[in-house]
Amino acid sequence: MAANIVKKFKDKQTLSKLKSHDKEAFIAVYDNHVAEIYRFVYFKIGRKEEANDLTSMIFLKAWNHIQNNSLEDAKTLRALLYKVARNSIVDYYRETGSKLRVTSSLDDEDNRIEVVDEGINPQDKLDREADLELIKSKLPLLKEEYRDVVIMKFINDLTLEEIAEISGKNKGNVRVLLHRALSALKELVEGSEKV
Amino acid sequence: MTDRDFITKLNSLQKTAPDQAWLKSNRELLLTQISNSGAENLSIWKTLVINFFSLAKASVRPAYALGIFALVLIMGSLFGNQVFSNVKPNDSLYIARIISEKAKLNTILNSDSRDKLAAQFATQHAQEISAVLADPKFNNEQNKNQVASLTVSFNQEISTAKNQLSRLTVATTTDNSVVSIADNSKDNKGLSVATNPLGQTPNYITTSSAISTSTKKGGENIKGEGQTATSSSAGGATSTLLKADTSNSDTAKILDQAQKLFDQKDYDQAFNKLKEADQFINAAN
Repeated sequence: MAANIVKKFKDKQTLSKLKSHDKEAFIAVYDNHVAEIYRFVYFKIGRKEEANDLTSMIFLKAWNHIQNNSLEDAKTLRALLYKVARNSIVDYYRETGSKLRVTSSLDDEDNRIEVVDEGINPQDKLDREADLELIKSKLPLLKEEYRDVVIMKFINDLTLEEIAEISGKNKGNVRVLLHRALSALKELVEGSEKV
Repeated sequence: MTDRDFITKLNSLQKTAPDQAWLKSNRELLLTQISNSGAENLSIWKTLVINFFSLAKASVRPAYALGIFALVLIMGSLFGNQVFSNVKPNDSLYIARIISEKAKLNTILNSDSRDKLAAQFATQHAQEISAVLADPKFNNEQNKNQVASLTVSFNQEISTAKNQLSRLTVATTTDNSVVSIADNSKDNKGLSVATNPLGQTPNYITTSSAISTSTKKGGENIKGEGQTATSSSAGGATSTLLKADTSNSDTAKILDQAQKLFDQKDYDQAFNKLKEADQFINAAN
């Protein structure tokens, strides 16, 4: 309970500071959230360079939204960043016209993802990387809403409440969606392993 | 592959990280962009205000809000006057000190203690006014309006202190007549008639039948001891109260002297006299 209040307090404090044009608060938000927003964008669009550009744009858009009070419905800063990210990705899809290019890019050898692994032997590392590459290759084949919840829950570690707020669904719906998404992805990965 | 293994592998993707060089350069780029749109560093005061309101918003549930309100109220009344104790009468925060002192007075239930503390506060205020007026840097032509208003405040504080002390004297005199009941000899029927030492009309009539009955049951010796104990303790209380009474009248005299010295613009001497009065009130506490 107390931890919840502290979390709420910090969030309100940061939002208020951002509204008061505080540079330091913005940098703190950037440092705390840039990696997860980057991951969300990267696993959604699959291209490193574009993910970099979009991530940068998302932070700038979030700053402008806060200054203009145009995203009042976002209860937390994290939710606000994800909402901006989702909208930016939709805009990106609209501009590029197709997602086909995106789905193939995660397999692209030139755009391999940097996975930082510490303290494991080379063989395990190779096996793990092979598994991860397989999962990554199958992620783009998931339905858009499945992919969203899988990235948010299992890769970026958001709570059900946060995912519900970002996606505009209730917690029960998010739970069902997660279950289905996980089954679908597992099926895709296992199907590929059998082949 | 079990669901748990699969989820563990998905969790491993958390280690996917953007390029460090890009992170750093992008940070600088964003900082430049937001600086151009009016971003700045917040002042300490603004940060404090934001922290306060954020805390209030975070604890919006009534129970927490009530708890925080009660805590602020208690802390304010207990420690508020200590926080402002160094504020001088010519400072802008002086009013905050007066309010915190009033709050502290209101938290004291015992009327005697409250009157004593009120007298002490008034004496201290007068003392501080003397100290401020004794300073030639302040007491000059430029500040003549403030000096005049402080002079009026000084007289008010002295009169408040004297009033509080006289109330204390009245209270102790009344208590004295009550104690004198126990000090008087009883008639054979177990009735005791109060006559106070000043020779005034007795205020109270009481019966000691209950005491007499219990002591008789216990035997003559017990009765004798009981009577001795009662009269000696009552005698002690009377002398203490008489001392307090004398002390209060002495303090009032010192306050009169301080006021005279103040009127003669001998602020240093007035300050010393008031310090003495403060010590007297403290000792009475």
